[in-house]
Amino acid sequence: MTLCEVTDVAGSAGDFTVTVKENPRYVDMDKCIACGECATKCPKKVDDEYNASTGKRKAVYVKYAQAVPLKYQIDAEACIWLNKPGRCGACAKICPAGAINFDDTEKTHNINVGAVVLAPGFESFDPTGTEVFGYGEYPNVITAMQLERYLSASGPTEGHLVRPSDGKPVRKVAFLQCVGSRDENLCGNGYCSSVCCMYAIKEAVIAKDHVPGLATSIFYMDMRTHGKEFDEYYTRARKESGVRFVRCRVNGVEPQGDEGDLRLHYVNEKGQQIEEYFDMVVLSVGLQTPKHVLDLAKKADIRLTPHNFAAVSDFAPVSTSQAGIFTCGAFAGPKDIPQSVMEGSAAAAAAADILAPARNELTQEKTFPPERDILGEELRIGVFVCHCGSNIAGYVDVEDVANYADTLPGVAHVERNLFTCSQDTQELMVKVIKENQLNRIVVAACTPRTHEPLFHETIKAAGLNEYLFEMANIRNQNSWVHTGDKKAATQKAKDLTRMAVAKVAWQGPLQNFAVPITRNTLVIGGGLAGLAAAHNLARQGFPVDLVERSSVLGGNAIHLHNTWSGEHIPQRMYGLIKDVRNDDLITIHMETEVVEAEGYVGNFITTLRNKNNEKRSIEHGVTIVATGGTRLMPDEYGYRDHKEVVSAIEFDKLYEIRDKQVSSSNSFVFIQCVGSRDVDRNYCSKVCCTHSVQSAIELKKENPKRRIYILYRDMRTYSQRESLYKKAREMGVIFINYELHGKPKVNKVDGSFEVEVWDHVLHRPLLIPADMIILATAIIPNNGAKKLAQLYKVPLDNFGFFQEAHAKLRPVDFATEGLFVAGMAHYPKPVEESIAQALAASARAATLLSKKQVTLDGIKAQVDPDFCDGCALCVDVCPYHAITLIESKDDQGESHNLVEVNLAHCKGCGLCQGTCPKRGISVAGFTFKQLESQIEAALAV
Amino acid sequence: MSYEPKIIAFCCNWCSYAAADLAGTSRMQYPPNIRIIRVMCSGMVHPEMILKSLTGGADGVMVLG
Amino acid sequence: MLKNKTIGSVMVVGGGITGMQSALDLADAGYFVYLVERTGAIGGAMAQLDKTFPTNDCSM
Repeated sequence: MTLCEVTDVAGSAGDFTVTVKENPRYVDMDKCIACGECATKCPKKVDDEYNASTGKRKAVYVKYAQAVPLKYQIDAEACIWLNKPGRCGACAKICPAGAINFDDTEKTHNINVGAVVLAPGFESFDPTGTEVFGYGEYPNVITAMQLERYLSASGPTEGHLVRPSDGKPVRKVAFLQCVGSRDENLCGNGYCSSVCCMYAIKEAVIAKDHVPGLATSIFYMDMRTHGKEFDEYYTRARKESGVRFVRCRVNGVEPQGDEGDLRLHYVNEKGQQIEEYFDMVVLSVGLQTPKHVLDLAKKADIRLTPHNFAAVSDFAPVSTSQAGIFTCGAFAGPKDIPQSVMEGSAAAAAAADILAPARNELTQEKTFPPERDILGEELRIGVFVCHCGSNIAGYVDVEDVANYADTLPGVAHVERNLFTCSQDTQELMVKVIKENQLNRIVVAACTPRTHEPLFHETIKAAGLNEYLFEMANIRNQNSWVHTGDKKAATQKAKDLTRMAVAKVAWQGPLQNFAVPITRNTLVIGGGLAGLAAAHNLARQGFPVDLVERSSVLGGNAIHLHNTWSGEHIPQRMYGLIKDVRNDDLITIHMETEVVEAEGYVGNFITTLRNKNNEKRSIEHGVTIVATGGTRLMPDEYGYRDHKEVVSAIEFDKLYEIRDKQVSSSNSFVFIQCVGSRDVDRNYCSKVCCTHSVQSAIELKKENPKRRIYILYRDMRTYSQRESLYKKAREMGVIFINYELHGKPKVNKVDGSFEVEVWDHVLHRPLLIPADMIILATAIIPNNGAKKLAQLYKVPLDNFGFFQEAHAKLRPVDFATEGLFVAGMAHYPKPVEESIAQALAASARAATLLSKKQVTLDGIKAQVDPDFCDGCALCVDVCPYHAITLIESKDDQGESHNLVEVNLAHCKGCGLCQGTCPKRGISVAGFTFKQLESQIEAALAV
Repeated sequence: MSYEPKIIAFCCNWCSYAAADLAGTSRMQYPPNIRIIRVMCSGMVHPEMILKSLTGGADGVMVLG
Repeated sequence: MLKNKTIGSVMVVGGGITGMQSALDLADAGYFVYLVERTGAIGGAMAQLDKTFPTNDCSM
């Protein structure tokens, strides 16, 4: 439902009525074929929001080229006709489909739902009128989103970085961080937007790729690259790409001369006043909640934080203050893409928690007619040639191609369609296939990568096996790339159609392969993430086996005190542990380890071994790895030698039991990044800055006279944690920055300790007397991770954390289906992020568990027993271990070696086919015969 | 008549075939002499397929993956 | 707290990357989903980005 806004939410969890206002599009979605004629004729140009106002669009437009739905819309504010009927109407005249409807009106829908998930996102801070940075005044001061559009191939300059003022190439760019973040004076946004450091580095690196020799400088306060693999990217940007990083706040941006150059003045790290000139200044603008979202929160009666984000508990990070209304993404605080995606899944899990009884009540499976048996029928190929509006027909003589197709051997019927993919054509295709008893179908149109599934459904609806189908890609790989040569493009379209016809002639029906799913999940690890995942799955009605290696549940979390927002962790943990223990659907295996694992999605078999060395096997459909992390035991700063030097967790314990060592101490020195962001471990442990700041605040609260120093590399109190950092500074905690090459030194002088650190302001070493020295030690993966990774054949990253399938879009999935990761096994993270990922893993698991079976496609390797001689060359090359050597008896009772394919493991890649010396194995749909026919057809003319 | 070579390209569905699609989406222009055969992985292409193309009259074969 | 009636459908408000992920997971788990988007097309802010770190993948 696009162009829709929620105007009211009534009811309660399980039964809401949501009022949705649908704004008029003025374009009939069913009729619009997205040919773009309307936009060509539209005389009105306005700023394009998609391009962050760096370019123009028409009043009738499509948001972006790959938009879904790909349907045009009219901007009522800009449209000439809608403002003065009768004055223009050019689009309505030109539209070949008659889709323009100026009489379209606003509609209101009342929709009954069980739960509401709010994912309204953020807006970038608008620096217009901030004066200091000259945005809106000097054309070469732009926002990061605008730079993003300039760098994009689909942007206004097709990826060429030029100055907005004069179109000249850019040589020197400055990025200014924290514009609209960590700044209460300028905009009232005191929080950190969490993503700007990383996007600025990325843009600086990409800009340098676009413009060789480009100089890029990033002016920052703290470099907050705390996400997985972010610090490595930061190091690469500095060392390999040559991005310059300057720690300072720029005072102002002023014009230099009339050419559009800009002058920056700032105080550098050595305390010197500097003036520097740049061609372009990019403002790394922060994120904030848009006005319309605040209105929505009001309508839904949702509590917000002082920073205007949805208020959530760290233990229920996607639940708003209203039961049954959930939040995910930047609405509950600024966050990056993987965290947002995780929360999207987590919100699904949280919603499913309350809706589980009504699962599958409103959804329905599509049904198809029984398949026609084509065995013994002579070839009757149907060819459908698509015009794709003017996309193909504009550059290819489609009629000529269709006439030619009719002459090809085996072809019984040819049609031409304006849009073969449109809904009415699908109905027509079904009719044509039935009437003409067609038994193979070729569509000459766009790419099978996007459209093959649609046509598979269509021919299934016509009673044909869905694999009796082939596409000729005459758009993406023909009409669009040979726009200037109609004759050649037409000839190539004929060739491609001939090749597709030749291939499909050898295509037989294939069966999709269904694997039943064991509706049971194995959760490995009984820490916070494992418990949260198990709990949610059980609430959704799925049984769980929970395995814990130690003798206690709760993992690291039971040793922690408060979350960043001040929620008491042990208390919540005991509640969660109790719930898990009391849940009949959860079986807990304490002091038990995983020793063997086999199987695949839906059908894993894992062998567990308990402390008495007893083994048992568990069948499960899904595996969630939540093995957590542990702390590093450092070799630095005299940790192993002196009782005054303690780790943060040890300090917490001493503080909690009111140990004399703490109560009698007056001077505390916290040293950050002990083992993190170091040579061996170039990653951020993410939680330590906040942890030390919290401890410092507690100490100061107890006795304001205590002297507290935090020695840090970059303070990474991201998102709304920034308020803690501010509070600590206000309370008099002293923050001193150090660099990796100038680590602090711990000295013992006359029985007392002092910490030596370089003072950047005074340019000399500073000696701090210390009664206690607290080390923020790194979080490292648990030592069982490596073995587990081998057992389940899943990858680890450079540092031993589990590697997800995709850093951005699949942050909880493994590349292998049916396996998921959650919590610190994936990367160090605080409580609410661990829980979000655990819920996400549960949601992803539920997408499998809620089905009775998984369907795998029919594109699998098949063995030809007449040719396979059991040489087994294919066994070793198969990357999925899907092939095994077996012995089989032939009709005469003689035994032969032969290979066998496990269809559930086979991905149809065909490495076996490329290796086989005897043509004994090939992939269905890409057999030797089919490829040869294609080659022959390609070279036939 | 000028020399117009015929080139057979075996393209992996997941990378080079997708790239060829993207070239279209981006309207990049290239000579129309190439005939792409889609495979599920470039590792699927048996040496015999390359020989078959060459003996069948192709002037060049590309295996892209 | 819940009333007797529980409706097996969810409204997801916002068609960005987060909303889409939520909607897909809910639909795949057997719930009917209404995905409500304020503008004319789904995709949200991520569709505006050129490339994403740390791998510099295209964001489309």
